[in-house]
Amino acid sequence: MRLPLTVITLALSLLPSTHAVFADEAYTVDYHHELLGLPLPQTTFFHRPRKDDKATLLYTLSDLGVLGAVHPGTGRVVWRQLLAGESANNGTEKGFLRPVEGESTVVSAIGGRVDSWDAMSGRERWGNVFSGTVKDLEVMETPSGDAKDVLALFEEDGKSVLRLLKGKSGNVKWEYRDEAIDLPLQVSTNVEKLFVTALHGSKGAYNIKVTQVDPVTGKKGSEYTLRSLSEIHGPEDVLLVGANSASPIIAWTDKDFKNLKINVLGRSAAIVTLPLKEADGPITEVEIHAPHLIQSLPHFLVHSYSATANRADVYHVNLASGSVEKEYELPKLPGKGAVSVSSQDANVYFTRLTEDECIVVSSASHGILGRWPMKFTGKDGALIHGASEVVKRTGDAYAVRTAVVTSNDDWLLVRNGAVDWTRSEGLSGAVAAAWADIPESESLAKTLEAEAHINPLSAYIHRVNRHAHDLQYLPAYLQTLPKRLLSSIIGSDAASQTNGVLVRDNFGFNKLVIVATERGRVYGLDAGNQGTILWSTRSSKVFDFPASEKWDVKGIYVDPSKGTATIRGSRGEFVIVHVLTGNVLGTATPGSHPSVRSAVVVDTPSGTRFLPIGLDGNPGEIPSTRAPKDSLVTQGKAGEIKGLKYETSGDIAAPVTLWTFQPGPGEKIINVVSRPTHDPVASIGKVLGDRTVLYKYLNQNVVLVTAVAEESSSVIFYLIDSVSGDVLYSATHEGVDIKQPITSVLTENWFAYSLWSDIAVTSATSAALPASKGYQIVISELFESSIPNDRGPLGPTDNSSSIEPSDEINGEPALPYVITQSFLIPESISHMSVSQTSQGITSRQLICTLAGSNAVVGIPRHILDARRPVGRAPTPAEMEESLVQYHPVIDFDPRMTLTHKREVIGIKDVIATPAILESTSLLFAYGIDIFGTRVAPSAAFDILGKSFNRLSLVATVLALWVGVFILAPMTKRKQINERWAAQ
Amino acid sequence: MATAAPPPPQWVLDLNSPPASKQKNSGIPDPPGYPATSSGSKKQQASTKTAVRAPPTTHEMDVLKLKKAWEVALAPVKQLPMTAIMMYMSGNSLQIFSIMMVVMAFKNPVMGLMATQQAFERFETAGTRDKLLMVKAVYVAMQILALALGVWKVNQMGLLPTTRSDWLAWETARVPKEVAIPAF
Repeated sequence: MRLPLTVITLALSLLPSTHAVFADEAYTVDYHHELLGLPLPQTTFFHRPRKDDKATLLYTLSDLGVLGAVHPGTGRVVWRQLLAGESANNGTEKGFLRPVEGESTVVSAIGGRVDSWDAMSGRERWGNVFSGTVKDLEVMETPSGDAKDVLALFEEDGKSVLRLLKGKSGNVKWEYRDEAIDLPLQVSTNVEKLFVTALHGSKGAYNIKVTQVDPVTGKKGSEYTLRSLSEIHGPEDVLLVGANSASPIIAWTDKDFKNLKINVLGRSAAIVTLPLKEADGPITEVEIHAPHLIQSLPHFLVHSYSATANRADVYHVNLASGSVEKEYELPKLPGKGAVSVSSQDANVYFTRLTEDECIVVSSASHGILGRWPMKFTGKDGALIHGASEVVKRTGDAYAVRTAVVTSNDDWLLVRNGAVDWTRSEGLSGAVAAAWADIPESESLAKTLEAEAHINPLSAYIHRVNRHAHDLQYLPAYLQTLPKRLLSSIIGSDAASQTNGVLVRDNFGFNKLVIVATERGRVYGLDAGNQGTILWSTRSSKVFDFPASEKWDVKGIYVDPSKGTATIRGSRGEFVIVHVLTGNVLGTATPGSHPSVRSAVVVDTPSGTRFLPIGLDGNPGEIPSTRAPKDSLVTQGKAGEIKGLKYETSGDIAAPVTLWTFQPGPGEKIINVVSRPTHDPVASIGKVLGDRTVLYKYLNQNVVLVTAVAEESSSVIFYLIDSVSGDVLYSATHEGVDIKQPITSVLTENWFAYSLWSDIAVTSATSAALPASKGYQIVISELFESSIPNDRGPLGPTDNSSSIEPSDEINGEPALPYVITQSFLIPESISHMSVSQTSQGITSRQLICTLAGSNAVVGIPRHILDARRPVGRAPTPAEMEESLVQYHPVIDFDPRMTLTHKREVIGIKDVIATPAILESTSLLFAYGIDIFGTRVAPSAAFDILGKSFNRLSLVATVLALWVGVFILAPMTKRKQINERWAAQ
Repeated sequence: MATAAPPPPQWVLDLNSPPASKQKNSGIPDPPGYPATSSGSKKQQASTKTAVRAPPTTHEMDVLKLKKAWEVALAPVKQLPMTAIMMYMSGNSLQIFSIMMVVMAFKNPVMGLMATQQAFERFETAGTRDKLLMVKAVYVAMQILALALGVWKVNQMGLLPTTRSDWLAWETARVPKEVAIPAF
């Protein structure tokens, strides 16, 4: 009827802007895990950001290329910078981070860029980008009081290039090029000389070449070669090249970890061989810890591990003679341990953390300076590596704090043996995530079902017994009753839950998120409780794939009836975990199954299955009971889109290709999107101002294909019917920078995409379009017909078939009527998704990830309306539709920003799920950071907000009640008196 | 034994002998010509007046009644212009005033239609019965006219389901015969 529409229009026009995050909602509906990635041993250290202040910050450049400073007292992030953001292969290239002693500066290098950062604020002092990749970075000690210069070693076309960068500006002072084809390894300095070490030889067998370079002119000095052909197969075999040190060394071991070989750089080609002592079985790993300060004593520690124990030896380098002598040893202790080095002026301290105790020794003598028992719980995991800071208190008292990485991928700060804080850095680098409902206790449903099937009398007795049994919970229920009443009056969060027990709530906000990370870990987060980590499971232990490789997750399927989540990886591996506990229920190792391109949930005669699709887009032959009933749309090796249908012959079902979609010549498919699995549409038409209806084109079998043509730098979007393979619509954009992100989303009856394009004015287009250049977002709405009240070629039929669209033979498919509008946006969108609600009554919101400003924005649908009148004010009828005049620029209003002032970095994907409340959709963004929030695109119309004054409502009711209570007898008395006391 | 009946209670006595009606304005004398007891004499006067005029014949009465009946029948239509103007002025938005007007615009004709017989009962005699049929028909037509005005107003307010959009909720999306599951 017209009435509700008018009312709604009126109400909507009166409502405040609905997409804003209100101040009282920020930090309560959203949660954020501010993550850095796993700290690496070489790039994690304590450093004083202010020269005359003793306070230090903890700096790290993580495996994900995030540079960050952490407050050591609280564990909070002070500042972060994403360095590997632009390059897609972040994490594969090694990063370097060095403190500049005595200055408020840290210097980082990753890829080809070298940057200098203010250690206190995280602001960039200078940045310089070079060709080639950085192989090492050192801070040059200069006697003068100027800013210290930075040495950067690059590999350019297989040759070493050493550059000295000015500490003030980052400009190149001099450059030294080695003409020989080498593998540059590291650069070291001992004030007077620079040493460039490189691996010389063929792949698999290298000699070490040490070249001296003059620090003032950058001219080459003498060079010598160390014979290590049989021992060094790659850069990872060299244990240590002492960096800034009074006497830098280079160290490696032989193949069986029997002997340690050391050369004191700059002395001669003499190799010192030191025997390694076994500790309970053969040595599996050797680490060397040496100080990084030039004024520190030239001592170093050799830490060797066996499978069950670890031990350490401390050696001294004699500066005068260049000989290496063993000074003392630290006893063998069971389990893994972490040794870290810290230096204060000339003193060098070694901190050894094992599962039982934490000790600090000086490098000069074996006397233990401090010993603390470790207060560790079993779940903390084994210690992997750490960075420590030793402080000398009054007298002989020492204090130590160590930031240590554990095998659970947590980063802890251990202060004098006690854990101060824990950061779950393993959660960073999420590659896939899925929503899961909290499994309901099925016992009640089962009991009810059982009662329905037995005879009435025994069912009655059973029910009475059950209710009598339930009475034992009554006191507890009554106890919580006042609390519940009070909380409902005061309006505290209804989603708060009982301690430790996960239960669903009435609004559907309490859900779980299963997150798989690239390091092979699986996490379960509680979205209803600020995204806290419920459990984490290391599946890579089960799979045992090398740490350098990333887990490529192809799909997560959550089975709501069983409460399990199946995670499938690209190499055929899968792991099944329980969503509530994280217990691993089943696994398959990589390689045990064929490689997987994707995985899809299908309906088969034997129930719902999670079907893997092979690399060529072919799921292969499977037993007919497991064959999906519906056809599939897959992508082949060359990116072509295929429609498959399973044909059953006997017990075996084989896929038959129904159609194949190849883009035009020179085009490459870069992306395919489909409508979300849960995509309900409440109204099948759009009511216009004159009460006529424009029917939406609602075909669930459509996919939107993005193809790029590199030569003509154009992008073509194809809308394909996924049953018949017919192209329903296509749009071409010229002058597109295809290196920029091109993202798209398809839902309901509309699709949107964003790209960067430069539309030049040509004679053909000048009349229609002015020139534009920049990021664009294009929205296209699909309708059944251009005429209102018309249901298009198919008419009022209830069914539609894509294969036989009409009764005619070879009839044309019903093509949608498309209205398109484009808008300019201020920055690039790296990912798009759309909010989901349970019935689709609430309008959808386009959720866009902005990599440039580290934010997630939600663009309301009414701004992105293709039917906004262009160049004129809306007519009254259009106003009634709440259409506003077209404006070519959509500004990302701060009120659209769902992340408000939070900075979320490295977001790869945003997943949405409906809550039970129709107005609300839950969002979860993952990538390096984790961010989750709730959105209500049409305002929270079905729940009372926090601003609603429940107290005054209750007070009003009470006051009225009291008033009635007092007035009622008074009125009664008066009425009687009127009758009887008249005379 | 004949004992004397107990004396009646006080309230019976009071009831039997009510106090003399109070002279309302005892101090003020009645104006000249104002009778102390007016009711009885007035009746007498009226009766004497009617007694003077000759009683009308039945035919005259019938004509008179018919005339009256026509007046009754045409009464609703006389209100119509006024109602129409008020409806026009009150606008099409949903307000308490326009809603009350619409309610009245429906209530009055319907009530009038229901009370058709009662409205003409007093005019009905043996002589007028046939002629009244015509009058009643006009009366009904007039009420329907008033009702029509109400309907027009409701339509004007957009409360009548006359457009396609009003029935959109009962229309369903087409069910596709084939389903293709995206697996890329």
